[in-house]
Amino acid sequence: MKTIKFFTLLTLFITFISCDKEDDTPSLVAVESKAITNLKAEQTSDYTTNPPTISGDYIKFSFETGAATTTDNWDIAFRGSTILVNGGEATAEDQPERTGNAAVYITSGTLASVEEVTTALLKTDSSVDGLAITTGSGNGWYNYDQSTHIITPIAGKVLVVKTNNGKYAKLEILSYYKDADTSSDSQYYTFNYIYQPNEGVTTF
Amino acid sequence: MILNNKIELVFLLLFGTVLYGQRAVIKNDTVRTQNLDEVIVSATRTLRQLSSLPLPVQLISNTEIRQINSLRLHNVLNEQTGLITVPDFGGGEGIQLQGLDSQYTLLLIDGVPLIGRSAGTLDLSRITVGNIKQIEIVKGASSSLYGSEAMGGVINIITEKATDGFQGSLRNRYGSFNGNDLGVNLSYKKDKVSFSTYLNSYNSDGYDLDRSTKLNTVEPFRNYTISTKVLYDFSEMANVFVSGRYYTQKQEYVASETLKGESEIREWNTHLKLEQQYNAKWNSYFEFYATRYKADEHLNNPDNSLFSVSNFNQLLLKPEIRGSYAPSKKSTFVGGIGLSHETLERTDFSTNPIFNSPYIYVQYDTNPTEKINVLVGTRFDAHNNYASQFSPKGALRYQINSTLAVKGSIGYGFKAPDFRQLYFDFSNATVGYTVLGYNAVPARIPELENEGQIANIVVLISAFNAELSPENSIGINVGADYKPLNTVSLSINLFRNNIKDLIDTRVIANKTNGQNIFSYYNVNEVYTKGLEFNATWKPTTQLKIATGYQLLYAKDKKAKNAFSNGEVYARESSSSSSFQLKEAAYFGLYNRSRHMANFKVFYNIPKWSVNTNLRGVYRSKYGIYDTNGNNFLDTYDDFISGYSIWNWAINKTFYKNYQLGFGVDNFMGFTDTQNISNIAGRIVYGKLNIQF
Repeated sequence: MKTIKFFTLLTLFITFISCDKEDDTPSLVAVESKAITNLKAEQTSDYTTNPPTISGDYIKFSFETGAATTTDNWDIAFRGSTILVNGGEATAEDQPERTGNAAVYITSGTLASVEEVTTALLKTDSSVDGLAITTGSGNGWYNYDQSTHIITPIAGKVLVVKTNNGKYAKLEILSYYKDADTSSDSQYYTFNYIYQPNEGVTTF
Repeated sequence: MILNNKIELVFLLLFGTVLYGQRAVIKNDTVRTQNLDEVIVSATRTLRQLSSLPLPVQLISNTEIRQINSLRLHNVLNEQTGLITVPDFGGGEGIQLQGLDSQYTLLLIDGVPLIGRSAGTLDLSRITVGNIKQIEIVKGASSSLYGSEAMGGVINIITEKATDGFQGSLRNRYGSFNGNDLGVNLSYKKDKVSFSTYLNSYNSDGYDLDRSTKLNTVEPFRNYTISTKVLYDFSEMANVFVSGRYYTQKQEYVASETLKGESEIREWNTHLKLEQQYNAKWNSYFEFYATRYKADEHLNNPDNSLFSVSNFNQLLLKPEIRGSYAPSKKSTFVGGIGLSHETLERTDFSTNPIFNSPYIYVQYDTNPTEKINVLVGTRFDAHNNYASQFSPKGALRYQINSTLAVKGSIGYGFKAPDFRQLYFDFSNATVGYTVLGYNAVPARIPELENEGQIANIVVLISAFNAELSPENSIGINVGADYKPLNTVSLSINLFRNNIKDLIDTRVIANKTNGQNIFSYYNVNEVYTKGLEFNATWKPTTQLKIATGYQLLYAKDKKAKNAFSNGEVYARESSSSSSFQLKEAAYFGLYNRSRHMANFKVFYNIPKWSVNTNLRGVYRSKYGIYDTNGNNFLDTYDDFISGYSIWNWAINKTFYKNYQLGFGVDNFMGFTDTQNISNIAGRIVYGKLNIQF
């Protein structure tokens, strides 16, 4: 008897608490976790000029849709090993115009261990200070091996992004090669990301 | 010299190991003569019996060098416990000792230093072993006697001395890769004069480990060594010693399919030493040493027009006055005062620098009781370019009983920043990066800035206002010698070297061409620690079995902290998610093997006048670069697998004065075409010696 009573009470209690929570705070949508494979970010380089002329369109990506986009509603954009963010100013004429307020920073950690956004670190691209994600081997997200010419994403680097729509995402780049095979074609991004679709939530 | 012999005699009698006789001219290799000859000068700058020293020392005898038919210094050193030669990018082969790089081991010939470290490494293949009496290796910081560079230890090559009458020998070894080594030794000694000269010629076609490329691993070369020594005794109390050595090498220099040229090395050394004995207690030495090392290389375009030239021209002058005073038979003071004057002219240098470094040192060696030997010493080096250095050292040996002795030493060692670290001004023509010496930065950066080459300054120029500090180390060695039987000797040594202010390179600015500007700075704190074990067993006078082992941990403290703070990540495969590494995953410094071992058997068959030997060396896996891009060598990097190399030789003497030899070095034919450029593969050779 006693046990049954206890369970009844417990059930009531839990139901009560649960209802309470739902009443007080708006429901949170679960974070979106997704893997993008072979996102092609082609660039062509003309080495007959000095410095070499790099050309090609930036591939714009939106975390909201989880896909590449041609609209102005993009968060980050890729061309070759260069990554832009849709905030601030263009640093070269052939870049897409920055139409949003997106920002980014690179932090150390695994994709799982980065649990909170440090908003003070967020940077936009700047015509004065350069790109928020600095280019060059060891400066940003990759290392470049001068002898094998292979670009390897640096282990333990996570990109934390404030998206164009004011939400947050974090991503870990896994490979720069088609099918993640370094003997295959380069300029193919494979990355894992987690998108926090809830407005103003800075944790993942 | 006479005095020193007396001291030796005292030691020998004290420790009652072997009976002493004046250096007898006995050519056969019995155990007894070997023991008699085991006297070493490098550890204390006085003649001391090897087994009585409070320091970890190793001696390689002339007998061993002859029996293994060795040609160059690196061949011999590679077979010794805890030593390994490591190729550097400049093509030289430097020694690694107690886990410290080549630049921290001072290399001496007859007590005076060799120069010519264009990239820090002293190339040991420069030195022929055809006229060597013995090689002495002192481990542990020895700056208290030798100053800069003797941070990890000292290797002293003692050349052969003339014996009575006219002696001559011719040695020729011919083997794989068309390697031909010819040496002629002539010596004469009568009454007060002794004279010896040695000529050596060595050439090889080089070798190619990777036939898929147009370049050879080692291009063909030819070198010559001429060295001459004269000793004249004015009286029993005074003598003069003059020696000269000249070395020259020409080697093809191939940079690519189209760029070809030649590299040439010319080196000379002259050494003058006056020795005067005043009485049984006082001795003095006046020494003047001069040496120049020149390396010139050029590359031509296919149309024979000049593509590039590079020159390196270093001069060292070193006068020194040294005295020894023995107040009693139990103790000796040694002291010296001198100056080291060095100049360098080099391509890609911001200036033609001059180093002047006066120094003074003193050492006290005493035996307060029959069982105890104490060694204390210190040295002061001033310098026109960096802070003065004070290098003390202390050592103690205690003979517990007739079979067991323990010893320990602690010393300070340093290595002055070299010319390159201060004055380099080099821009790579093809890739576009720049390396600036520390002192070249304040003037050069504004220039590059004006030329519009700098995109971004990473380290402010004001950081280069202070002096670059010498790298320095405290070395501790604790060990024991145990001789349980007449036929068995064992020794163990635990070592630790705490190195501070290690000079490394860092990016100080980014260039507009996307490349970086590097410069040198004092940063790292590194330690090497481990143990060394040696065992020798001579069951009969004909057979000697020796084995050695070194355990080594060589780590960077900052790297260790990065691991323990969880700042280091890796991936299982190149495209899997990254994870955090624990401290246990930190392997240590590059190019260090945790385990190194050797095993040697020497066998003499007197009735056939034959000796033969089998020697093997092993090194465990090691990493040469960070393959997973996290800037540290961790267990998830690609390693070079451990390997062993086995050598075999046999020699037979005919008609007393003729000797034929045959051998195979690396008879298992081990090579690693991708990673190990200094192991050529199997080398088969024949040898002829003629004494006259």
